[in-house]
Amino acid sequence: MKRVFLVMMSLLLVFSFVLAAEKPIKIGAVNPLGDITGDQAAKAMKLAVKEINDAGGVLGRPIELIVIDDEMNPAKGAAAIERLATVENVDFFVGGMGSGVHLAQIPILKKYEKITVWIGAATHQAEIAMGPDADWYFHLHPWDYQQGEGYGIGWTEIVHAYPEVKIEKVFLAYEEGAFGTDSYTTYVDLYEEAKRGEGSWKEVLKEFKGASFKSAALGGGDYRAMLNQAKAFNPDLFIWAGYDADAIPIVAQAKEVNFQPPLFVGAPPGWPADFGKNPLSENVILYGMWAPTLNEVSPVAKHFYDAYVEMWKEEPATYFAPLGYTNIYFLVEGIKKAGSLDKNAIIEALRTIEYESPLGEVLKIEPSRIIKNQGFKYQKILQWQKGRQEVIWPLELATTQLDYPFKFGK
Amino acid sequence: MLNLEKTNKSLKKTLIAFIIFLIVVGIWKPLALVYGIQRGGLYSLIGLPLALILGIVGILNLAHGDFLTLGLYIGYIFFNSWSIDPLISMAPLFFILFGLGMVIYSILIKRVLKAEHLNQLLLTFGISMIIIELIKIIWTTRPRSVYTSYASSVTLGNMSIGMYEFIYPAMAIAVLVILQLFLKKTRLGQAASAVGQNPKGAEIVGINTNVVYLVVFSIAFGIIGVAASVMLPRTPVFPLSGNPYTLKSFALVAMAGLGNLNGILIGGITLGVAEAIVQSIPGYEGWSDVVFFGILIAVILLNAYRRPES
Repeated sequence: MKRVFLVMMSLLLVFSFVLAAEKPIKIGAVNPLGDITGDQAAKAMKLAVKEINDAGGVLGRPIELIVIDDEMNPAKGAAAIERLATVENVDFFVGGMGSGVHLAQIPILKKYEKITVWIGAATHQAEIAMGPDADWYFHLHPWDYQQGEGYGIGWTEIVHAYPEVKIEKVFLAYEEGAFGTDSYTTYVDLYEEAKRGEGSWKEVLKEFKGASFKSAALGGGDYRAMLNQAKAFNPDLFIWAGYDADAIPIVAQAKEVNFQPPLFVGAPPGWPADFGKNPLSENVILYGMWAPTLNEVSPVAKHFYDAYVEMWKEEPATYFAPLGYTNIYFLVEGIKKAGSLDKNAIIEALRTIEYESPLGEVLKIEPSRIIKNQGFKYQKILQWQKGRQEVIWPLELATTQLDYPFKFGK
Repeated sequence: MLNLEKTNKSLKKTLIAFIIFLIVVGIWKPLALVYGIQRGGLYSLIGLPLALILGIVGILNLAHGDFLTLGLYIGYIFFNSWSIDPLISMAPLFFILFGLGMVIYSILIKRVLKAEHLNQLLLTFGISMIIIELIKIIWTTRPRSVYTSYASSVTLGNMSIGMYEFIYPAMAIAVLVILQLFLKKTRLGQAASAVGQNPKGAEIVGINTNVVYLVVFSIAFGIIGVAASVMLPRTPVFPLSGNPYTLKSFALVAMAGLGNLNGILIGGITLGVAEAIVQSIPGYEGWSDVVFFGILIAVILLNAYRRPES
């Protein structure tokens, strides 16, 4: 009887070990699935999870990804974190896109203090809200002030690399909402710095002017008054900060009012589905973290692109796709390096790993103004050429030369 | 007779004031006048079908702008799938939206004609929500656009003016003239006018109000299709493209007065010009909506002040 009992106990012990070993590591993601950024980020995350699980998982356990749609609604975004923590019992949080949603999520994230690797929210308000003590929080997307600084570095290097390019006068057209107004404030600060001979813009920002417009996304769409102001200012660098809905009409109306700045830059969070096919897109410059042309200079970018197309039968069209892929791989690399699910060990591992990302850059963690764990610092300067987004800066990642000056009907 | 004379005098006064307003703006800010006429023409073109439905059927269609969005997507499909220019797809779009209007009226609107206004509003609000969500599911939120080569502009001195946008006031005038001819010269149109003024009386004299409502509702939808076609070369197509025009169209109807189709044109251009003036003043671009609705409130108050007098 005793022997039977011992055998049964041994079997139970072995069985429970097997069960524990195969119990998945749960990652909870929150993305806006109705928007292409969230949709493609979630798809890229699923691709990364599939690749990792096909290769045997991590620490001998498979990864389980639970994705919740925040519907770009702050209340729903916060509730999603609460649900992932309490109902789904996830081990880690990932995802993100909108800053407004993230601001609502931060108090909930602070409540649970689980390791969080976030790819959205560029506003520095989120950094302030998170504070300096959240060592479990990793933010991969560049903050707004880092982006502004990065563009200054980029344009300065471009001016040095292309002697024909001259930048002294900058005009910013910004949409009337929070996004555009924040951009304007950032540029005003950069201009003040430049006037004092400080900051990354000091060589390329001698004169600055801004004008607002009502975005087509919010019921506007007539930019001609603003474009006439810009034309009168005669800038070397014209930047508009609005939404994807403004992209085509703003160029079309610029053509109508015969406004042709040497550098025509659009800075929306995303671009219309068929912008590259439109002849008006030629030589328009954009800011972004990734372009499909990076496949030509980065094997990791090419692997990601091909695998994504094969799995989802669609092309990744926004940088949130490679960013979502990076989101999962970066976290899993950290777990692998830590060798356990110990929180402190993983935090330490994530701070020291260098992950070669499909965004063309090596991701490594450094402190930013407030938080300790910031990932990418700058966006890239890209240019539409023959329907393709080409990388112009960083110069070492450039996929082609800058086509200068901007001219309609090239 | 006396009332008719008073109305004619009032119309003449309004027209003279309107022309003086345009002349003053033309001297002060010629570019704002051009932009304002172009934009106001678009407001009028989109506002006319809403005014027609509200004036005759008595329904405030809160999904007005969303049907415009739907028209834009259909026009986009014509362009993207079969390379049909938006100005050519205007004809099929008129009939597609006309048919859609018939279906919407027969299945839904007809059932709430005698219901409380709040229920009618809720119904059309529900339709609006369904259209927006369906569009998001089918086409996602990513904007689309069509490219047409007719983006010509003329240069006068240091002003460059886009020519395409003149199609908006031209189409608004054309639609207005056709609608007036329909309402005054055809039997069905006369019946529609009668139903709009006194539906019970019209029924008593043997007019089939249901048929009148069906035709008027469908024609209004057809005009939305026309508006979508002319907008398409200059408008990004996304789920909320047309949505803001519901409020602007309603504001125009409120300003012009129920059943006053001519007033929609005058009101539309007045508001368009006022908006353009504000936007042309550096630093005050964001005030255009304040001015738009400020003028609207002022006109409504003025009308309310005049009515007790007359």
